[in-house]
Amino acid sequence: MAGGLEPALAALRRELGGPALLSVLIALLAVALTFLVWRFVQGRRSSRKAVLLLGLCDAGKTLLFARLLSGRYRDTQTSITDSSATYRLSHDKSTNVTLIDLPGHESLRLQFLERFKAAARAIVFVVDSVAFQREVKDVAEFLYQVLVDGTVLRNAPALLIACNKQDVTMAKSAKLIQQQLEKELNTLRVTRSAAPTTLDSSGGPAQLGKKGKDFDFSQLPMKVEFVECSARGSKGEEGDADLEGLEKWLAKVA
Amino acid sequence: VLTAPLPQERGGNNSFTHEALTLKYKLDNQFELVFVVGFQKILTLTYVDKLIDDVHKEFRDKYRNEFQQKGALGLLNGTFDFKDDFMRLLRDAEESSKVRAPTVMKTFEQSLKSQKTVKCMIETRGEKPKEKVKNKKNKGSKKEGAEAATAPSKAPAGDKQLSAAGDKEELTKDEILQKNREEFFRRHMKAGEKSRSPKPDAQKEKGKKPRVWDLGNSNAKVLDYSNSATNGSAEACPVEGFDPDMALGDKNREPGRLYDLEYESEEEAEEEKVVQNTSKPSAKKGGLGGMFGMLKGLVGSKSLTREDMDPVLEKMKDHLIAKNVAAEIAVQLCESVAKKLEGKVMGTFTTVTSTVKQALQEALVQILQPQRRVDVLRDVMDAQRHRRPYVVTFCGVNGVGKSTNLAKISFWLIENGFSVLIAACDTFRAGAVEQLRTHTRRLNALHPPESHGGRTMVQLYEKGYGKDAAGIAMEAISYARNQGFDVVLVDTAGRMQDNAPLMTALAKLIAVNAPDLVLFVGEALVGNEAVDQLVKFNKALADHSMAQTPRLIDGIVLTKFDTIDDKVGAAISMTYITSKPIVFVGTGQTYCDLRSLNAKAVVAALMKA
Repeated sequence: MAGGLEPALAALRRELGGPALLSVLIALLAVALTFLVWRFVQGRRSSRKAVLLLGLCDAGKTLLFARLLSGRYRDTQTSITDSSATYRLSHDKSTNVTLIDLPGHESLRLQFLERFKAAARAIVFVVDSVAFQREVKDVAEFLYQVLVDGTVLRNAPALLIACNKQDVTMAKSAKLIQQQLEKELNTLRVTRSAAPTTLDSSGGPAQLGKKGKDFDFSQLPMKVEFVECSARGSKGEEGDADLEGLEKWLAKVA
Repeated sequence: VLTAPLPQERGGNNSFTHEALTLKYKLDNQFELVFVVGFQKILTLTYVDKLIDDVHKEFRDKYRNEFQQKGALGLLNGTFDFKDDFMRLLRDAEESSKVRAPTVMKTFEQSLKSQKTVKCMIETRGEKPKEKVKNKKNKGSKKEGAEAATAPSKAPAGDKQLSAAGDKEELTKDEILQKNREEFFRRHMKAGEKSRSPKPDAQKEKGKKPRVWDLGNSNAKVLDYSNSATNGSAEACPVEGFDPDMALGDKNREPGRLYDLEYESEEEAEEEKVVQNTSKPSAKKGGLGGMFGMLKGLVGSKSLTREDMDPVLEKMKDHLIAKNVAAEIAVQLCESVAKKLEGKVMGTFTTVTSTVKQALQEALVQILQPQRRVDVLRDVMDAQRHRRPYVVTFCGVNGVGKSTNLAKISFWLIENGFSVLIAACDTFRAGAVEQLRTHTRRLNALHPPESHGGRTMVQLYEKGYGKDAAGIAMEAISYARNQGFDVVLVDTAGRMQDNAPLMTALAKLIAVNAPDLVLFVGEALVGNEAVDQLVKFNKALADHSMAQTPRLIDGIVLTKFDTIDDKVGAAISMTYITSKPIVFVGTGQTYCDLRSLNAKAVVAALMKA
């Protein structure tokens, strides 16, 4: 190696002449240094600081987003694109997290999840507690898709399942929702792994939880919590939203 | 609007009917706004387009600061007190529509009678066309008149009429004035880009007159929407040099395997080619304006206009058609992407091509994402719990592979522990029942009753040939319920979509038996036919069903996927037409050749050059 380098260096020196060679070396060193610095800065910048709001259509994500940021009630429409803003914690004004509200529409949700999953420090999965009985299969499927995603499994962001719309009398409790979801995910594990493989056969989906035992949220590599909340608030549109649990959890995570 | 056409990439034309209302909408891509106007379907309001444009402009100008500075928080906290402005604009629009109708008639008379006076007026007042150009939006020429009339608001009514007449006058007198205009526009290069839009609109107005050829020689670059084909031989060379490279690249891979493709390298090569391409037209335009435009396009924020995107979209459309996407679908897709990108501000160092490609790719992935869940096993388990069989019906034209894929799906179900009853409702084709009997025998040999607790996993229910298919299906379902089978797979005869009596028979079978899943089997080789097949099948099912909400096709089985290498456009055509997911993909003739769709891989294969 060194032997090969010597004649090359000598040839280079002859070609360029003394001072020119030195300047070339210095230029190369500068480039390498900036490259390293740039990589380092990028690594720092892409640290995960985002909290994603996921859920089905009409779960109440956008209203929750508006309530957390401004405290006021707003009429919302179906989101077709993401919205992000920084959220300052109510108790501790110095720390802040970036809240990102993603659309729940079936055609859009996976696309936006792809875009933002790497930057997620925590995920809030919003569930409509009133329509839960009807939608349990869709909710479980989306949750399953989020949980088996490679990036999510690797980073293991904290997961909060926010059972929204608790102001309505028919809303299911968080305990019930947890039990139903566990049962449904248990079944989904089996059916999904038995589905025909995809075209490019990139390996089957990851295994969720432990084999042989019934699925439990404690088997996941990330912390999972259930919280009840109401974005609309029990006093209607004028009053405050019932977001105590959610805000406490956000303070913990930030 | 938000839940149906926009996410499904049908945003090509901007009106949409829903129940009794017609909704017209307009997208502002720079600030990500959607303006929607809804009105009763029975009314035909001519001022709606103009109203939307005016509202859009006013709203944007008024709240521009809030959008630019505060982003999402601005949207949340800002109060948008637009109601008064909106009422005013509405009143203006209504009045102008009443005024305009008689105006049109008058200008026609004037153009016949007094030619000389108007002509003098046009030639002396050279700024009139320039003003018009500055306030231009890319709508029809009627809009030209309206915009020019509203923008110089100080003009009195008489002047307004005359100027409107002048516009019309210009259009009809274009033959004479064309030379003047050309000189004028060549002098003002900066306005040159914008001036192109009135001219093509003017050309559209005079569709019948042969004047188009006169202009063809002098303004080819203006009227030419298909830049790739006619813009001189200099540009054809980079295109040709590009293709053989890619063709060689392909030969190193196994045909028929869909790999996870990395196409970043191709994008870079594309970008070099694009830089060359853009430098050539700018050289043709000549002058400082062209060079400036190119530099501005590369660095800094330039907003996308229709003219920038048109050549790229044309190329993308041809590319899609070459990949076996149906022609009308490709056109609609490109329209929708154009609408989504118009007015959007590009970031630094992104070319038009890359932005358009990115948008098109997202659109394609969006189309292939299923609107409803695609989990057959889950639904079968549900039906099992309710002690009733899960009924799947296969329909399609002749020879697409219904019976073969039925056998594959029953194999898959047996592997997962469900017992299957195959109903042979193809009572027409010679050998159909024997074919299914052979499959049944083979499947039972592969999964003998001993290994499944003593019950036969697969059984065939048939009543020979010539009988009524719907009746056989009904008997098969009740037999399955009695015997405790988990799934019933109903095989129907292949039929052409134009054959009305057969379509009626199929619709009757589905309406009477109410299957849980209606699968349309289509082959991946089909091209533009896919559109026709699916539309007619859905229509037949909808027409002949008695219920309020007719059972339409619930899913698609895409067969013979191993015969196409990367011309996977049929998948896009089919999902676009029905918005239903592709449930299975058949890739061969053995029992294991059943796959599910991977949207990203298909889109990658489609976008590959």
